[in-house]
Amino acid sequence: MSSLFHSTLIPCPSPNWREVGVRAEWRTIMLRIQNVTKTYPNGTQALKNVSFDVKDGEFLVVIGLSGSGKSTLLRCINRLIDPTEGKIFWDNTDITIASPAELRNIRRKIGMVFQQFNLVKRSSVMTNVLSGRLGYVNPWLSLVGIWPEEEKKKALQSLERVGIADKAYNRADALSGGQQQRVGIARALMQDPKLILADEPVASLDPVLSHSILQYLEQLNKEGITVICSLHFLDLVHRYATRVVALKDGVKVFEGSAQEIDRAKFKEIYGEEAQEVRAASL
Amino acid sequence: MEQSTVTNSRLGLSGLLSAVIPGLGQFVRGQRYRGVAILLGFLVMLATVVWYKNPLWYASPIAIWLWNVWDAASARQRSILLPVLFGLLAAYSIGWRVVGIDFSKADMNRARMIVRPMLRPDFIQERRERNTMWVPVQVPCAPEPPKAVREDGGKKATAIPDCGPVGETIIVSVSGMWPNTETNVVWQNPIGNSMMLGEGETSMLVLTTDENGSLTTAIRVPTTALVAAPDPTLPQLHRVYFDQYRPIGGYELSFIGNEVLKGALATVAMALIATVLAVLFAIPISFLAAHNLMSGNPVTYAIYVVVRTLLNILRSIESVIIAIVFVVIVGLGEFAGALALAVHSIAALAKLYSEVIEGIDPGPIEAIRSTGANWVQTVRYAVIPQIIPPFTAFTLYRWDINVRSATIIGFVGGGGIGFLIIELTRVNNMRGLSSVFIAIALVVVTLDYLSAKLRERLV
Repeated sequence: MSSLFHSTLIPCPSPNWREVGVRAEWRTIMLRIQNVTKTYPNGTQALKNVSFDVKDGEFLVVIGLSGSGKSTLLRCINRLIDPTEGKIFWDNTDITIASPAELRNIRRKIGMVFQQFNLVKRSSVMTNVLSGRLGYVNPWLSLVGIWPEEEKKKALQSLERVGIADKAYNRADALSGGQQQRVGIARALMQDPKLILADEPVASLDPVLSHSILQYLEQLNKEGITVICSLHFLDLVHRYATRVVALKDGVKVFEGSAQEIDRAKFKEIYGEEAQEVRAASL
Repeated sequence: MEQSTVTNSRLGLSGLLSAVIPGLGQFVRGQRYRGVAILLGFLVMLATVVWYKNPLWYASPIAIWLWNVWDAASARQRSILLPVLFGLLAAYSIGWRVVGIDFSKADMNRARMIVRPMLRPDFIQERRERNTMWVPVQVPCAPEPPKAVREDGGKKATAIPDCGPVGETIIVSVSGMWPNTETNVVWQNPIGNSMMLGEGETSMLVLTTDENGSLTTAIRVPTTALVAAPDPTLPQLHRVYFDQYRPIGGYELSFIGNEVLKGALATVAMALIATVLAVLFAIPISFLAAHNLMSGNPVTYAIYVVVRTLLNILRSIESVIIAIVFVVIVGLGEFAGALALAVHSIAALAKLYSEVIEGIDPGPIEAIRSTGANWVQTVRYAVIPQIIPPFTAFTLYRWDINVRSATIIGFVGGGGIGFLIIELTRVNNMRGLSSVFIAIALVVVTLDYLSAKLRERLV
């Protein structure tokens, strides 16, 4: 039980919560989303008064139809999109009113993984991974493309963690989709993140690769990084999520454990006509 | 099916309407655009045929009219392939006459006269050494003319008489030259202009020395000898030259070859200067002409529209035409040509660059921003890697195009090899022209290949 005791105090605990079986309410809240609303200039309301907490070490999965506001929600957390209303607290600071310098400091602790990988295709894998470190290094040296040796070493280590260190000097677009997403994860790892936002990280990949990518995220989660991930497939949700938030038309319609989402609930979230597509059976 | 409900009488009516005014039947039936198109097509065709007055061509509007009636009276919509074909046929036969295609005009003798020297391009020549001697001849005679005898390094040349007016026959002889060698005999006036002494003064007088290296011949003082003289009655010393040449092994650039090489170099350099100049201006302008950057608010959008319009206008004017203006402003030569090419290239490159900027992938920008990078770092790591390769590729391509344009910009005085073409054409130097053509082909093909190879690696 000593590990339990530690983990309630240390903000970045190493054990996997599911294995240790710590009750959720004991853990530290790392991110609080409070009444967040986003209205786009064209009048679309992507998020309507969404609130929930994210606790340290969680693997929180956000589900919902395309256009339900998942991507907007994730981008509000690191303010790639500015929420119209509401507050988002990170380590007791309100991200929504952070100054540009503060925001950059917050962002560098939040890694992000994208559906389309968002690598610079013409640059080398190494450059793409190193760019994850831009928030830490000397900006002037980074502008002329000079990187300290220890950063390069760190980049190779990150690539090793996702198993593609041998591709370091290939051009990013020479890699397959699964490999590109692993580069994306390595780039996020360079940030020494406390939190990883994964915006449909496997929607562009086939089922086998989906599991492999999610297993990397799960591994990082076990090593103590909190993950917020949007997903489409119910069986992936069941397999990886420690907690689930569901959005429908920008409104939070569900929050709870993955096991609580059965077919009925799934249909409620995705609409009557939705078929549960099993990733494994594809 | 709506068509099947249309009764025969209604079809007859629309056929009748179309017979009176082509397209009216279709228009009334509700096919408005079709009706208007048929009417306009018919009228244009009719007007063109009437204008060119050839009875045979009347078949075309008549055929269109017949088809139009058939179409209007059909329940089913007919394909417009037939009338388009009639129209094209008439347009093509009119075009044939306008262009004045007449192969009987071709003159094979003239073609041969041009092509034969072109097969021997004047680019390199054998290295030769020259053996020369001259004798002074006074024109016209003074009361006491100097002796027309000259000795130099074992060679001796004489003229009898020592002087004479234009048209006078003079016996000239030379000794001590190379034996059994062709020798050009040339008249030179006091200001150094050479005149030919052969048949009708239009060809070179060429004689061969004997085994001792001597020759003697009668010449006439050329009719043009005094053309440049300020006072034709004032006696002046002219010269009669004897020139021999023999190969000493190896080859060298001929005079024209030298000019061709200089011209080719000037052309490539002109294109290079123009391209670099254009890039400097095109990069900032391209950002103003990028829709995704400028459509944010009405002011920037207005700037975008103005810049785009200016670029389109500028791009539609060929650089050769712009060169006419610059030749007036900065004078003849490569500088005017380079400026003209630059102005045209700015417009062309700015448009291409702005399309690159418009096509940029926003994903990496989002990704780099999310790492905590600042604005400059985001541009450096997410924008520049995306635009540099296509920018470079387009710039190389533009240089390639500029080299082609630079070859003809000399036609209007813009310098480069085009200027040489004009000069060679004026003196009918087909051998020189042929070497210019070869040089242009070599330069263009080489640069085309190089830029294609480089672009392949960039994209």
